[in-house]
Amino acid sequence: MSANVDLRAKASGPSVVRYLDVVKRYGSFTALAGVSLDVHAGEVVCLIGPSGSGKSTLLRCTNGLETIDGGEIEFEGARLGRDERTLRAMRQRMGMVFQNFELFPHLTAEQNVAEGPRTVLRTGLAEAKRRAAAMLTKVGLADKAASYPSALSGGQQQRVAIARALAMEPDVMLFDEPTSALDPETIGEVLNVMKVLADEGMTMLVVTHEMSFARRVGDWVAVFDAGRIVEEGPPEQIFDRPATPRTRDFLSHLGWDA
Amino acid sequence: MTLDWSVVWQYRAALAEGTATTFLLTIATMAIALPCGIVVAGLRLYGAAPLRALATGYVELFRNLPLILVVYWAFYVLPILTGLGLSALATGLAALSLNVTAYNAETFRAGINSIRRGQVEAALALGMTRTQALRRIVLPQALRRVLPVLASTWVSLFKDTSLVSVIAVTELAYVSMQVRAQTFRVLEMLTAMAVIYWLLGYPQAKLVDWIQRRYAVSE
Amino acid sequence: MHLDYSVITANWRFLADGVGITVLLALASGAASLIAGFVLALLRLRGPRWLRPAIVFYIDSMRSIPVLVVLVWTFFALPIVAGVTMSPFTAGLIGLTVHLAAYAAEIVRAGIESVRPGQTRAALALGMSHPQILRRVVLPQALVRMLPAFGSLLSVTIKDTAIASVIAVPELMRRAETVAGQSFQPIEVYTFAMLVYFVLLYPVTRGVDRFYRRVAHLGRS
Repeated sequence: MSANVDLRAKASGPSVVRYLDVVKRYGSFTALAGVSLDVHAGEVVCLIGPSGSGKSTLLRCTNGLETIDGGEIEFEGARLGRDERTLRAMRQRMGMVFQNFELFPHLTAEQNVAEGPRTVLRTGLAEAKRRAAAMLTKVGLADKAASYPSALSGGQQQRVAIARALAMEPDVMLFDEPTSALDPETIGEVLNVMKVLADEGMTMLVVTHEMSFARRVGDWVAVFDAGRIVEEGPPEQIFDRPATPRTRDFLSHLGWDA
Repeated sequence: MTLDWSVVWQYRAALAEGTATTFLLTIATMAIALPCGIVVAGLRLYGAAPLRALATGYVELFRNLPLILVVYWAFYVLPILTGLGLSALATGLAALSLNVTAYNAETFRAGINSIRRGQVEAALALGMTRTQALRRIVLPQALRRVLPVLASTWVSLFKDTSLVSVIAVTELAYVSMQVRAQTFRVLEMLTAMAVIYWLLGYPQAKLVDWIQRRYAVSE
Repeated sequence: MHLDYSVITANWRFLADGVGITVLLALASGAASLIAGFVLALLRLRGPRWLRPAIVFYIDSMRSIPVLVVLVWTFFALPIVAGVTMSPFTAGLIGLTVHLAAYAAEIVRAGIESVRPGQTRAALALGMSHPQILRRVVLPQALVRMLPAFGSLLSVTIKDTAIASVIAVPELMRRAETVAGQSFQPIEVYTFAMLVYFVLLYPVTRGVDRFYRRVAHLGRS
């Protein structure tokens, strides 16, 4: 942990997600060994680090897809719901984008995006369709509304997945390696959509290997290793002047010249 | 050896009735075994531990018993155990239903399990309840996968109705063999029986092939 | 309700011999249909073109006609046509083999066709001949893939031997009927028969499952 929290540009905003000494174990394997982190409103926080270091696990604990074994997670000031109903209510205010897109194959793009409002928020069909159309336009896929996922490229599918999460009007967007399963040509279109979201002030928590994205768009970067955060700070510090040897090692292995 | 094929024509009414009973048995069994299969699969996947064990025991039992034995058992043992006096037709229907329900339960269970966990996670992440995720995301996809298997089970069931002939249910096989016994026209009647089954079963088998091609799933 | 299982012990020998016939019939027809199935599938895939429609017709016919009908026709009608007499066991063996070989042929065909064409291309690139490719590259992988289906077919074979009781083959089902009829104790006898069949069948499916899981990686390409 570094002592430059004062360099944190948007730390004045309200806390959206707060991790306090979060511990998560799978049998004898400790995936998270006491992680503490704050995410403030409007911030883009990027989680980077080697595979298996706990980044995705932390994300999946955030919306309760995994349960934690120690510590606390707070969402908008309240402890993460322990019972299904409270948890579900919190999930409705979080949007999640998966590495494998996980679009529903039996629904068209428009139906995928409208599914959340219709089934969860019980919005009327007309209103749900209107919202879906708006979100698809936002991600640049208005013309693909009637297409099934199997007819879309990976980048297009992921953009539809982003639209699906946005249709719920969440307070925070959780991205779990959104571009790791994409062909190089389509990575750019997804990152562009994410940048637009960031510019609009969406609070984002992004697990990624795209270092240039984290450098350009991130407000705060946390470096993971073996279930702990070994360094966190603004992107200029992490990428240009890394303070810890672990961070330097990790970045140099990726070919990133500090 | 003189062959007299006219017996087949002579007894066409009886054979037609037998065929009708065969179809009736098939349709009635499926009508029972489809919903029951879903229920048993549901118990097996989502039920409390004792229910789960019961459902699994039921499926494993009937998948590992010859159907003809179940037919005999139903005929001789059910009346004593339950005190009910069922007709042969009802008994046959009961035996077939017990058998096919077990196979359907397995089909539905495998179909639901074949849907990737990520689909459920994506649904939950949107804020759906587990029931909503099952109903709107898992089942529609699972249905597509089970359809070819159910079609195949249907054809097997159609052929298996012949087994209830052993308890004198007047379906096609029984009627054919009765006519044979009465007329002593062994080769003619037995060949006619085979041909009629072939005429009825062949198109069904081809339909199953078409369904399997149409609904083939590639991961 | 008073159950008296002494009827089982009294007829122990008789019933045990029935189990022996069941196992013998299952193994014999199983082996015969396996061999016939392989031959038919290979003839269909690699044999003369004119033979294919005939094989397909045979396979589709066996999918359409119940086992009972095949067995009854083999025992009662075939002797008339062929002028031979045969024992119930022989008729049962022939009938079961003819019926099951169709399913075996389909399993073999599906197994062979499921091996990726890239495997054949790679073998050709190495300079192998087609018979060599079949023998050393395709069949070994295909055999692994066929295992679960064959396990299932063996299970079906054992169950189908019970149908042979209809043509008086002295296997377990037939003998259970006899004892039940003579003793007027159907509950005990048929429950016993159920137990025996379950004990025969359950390990077959479980065993194939477990064996397949250990060797599955050998068939994956």
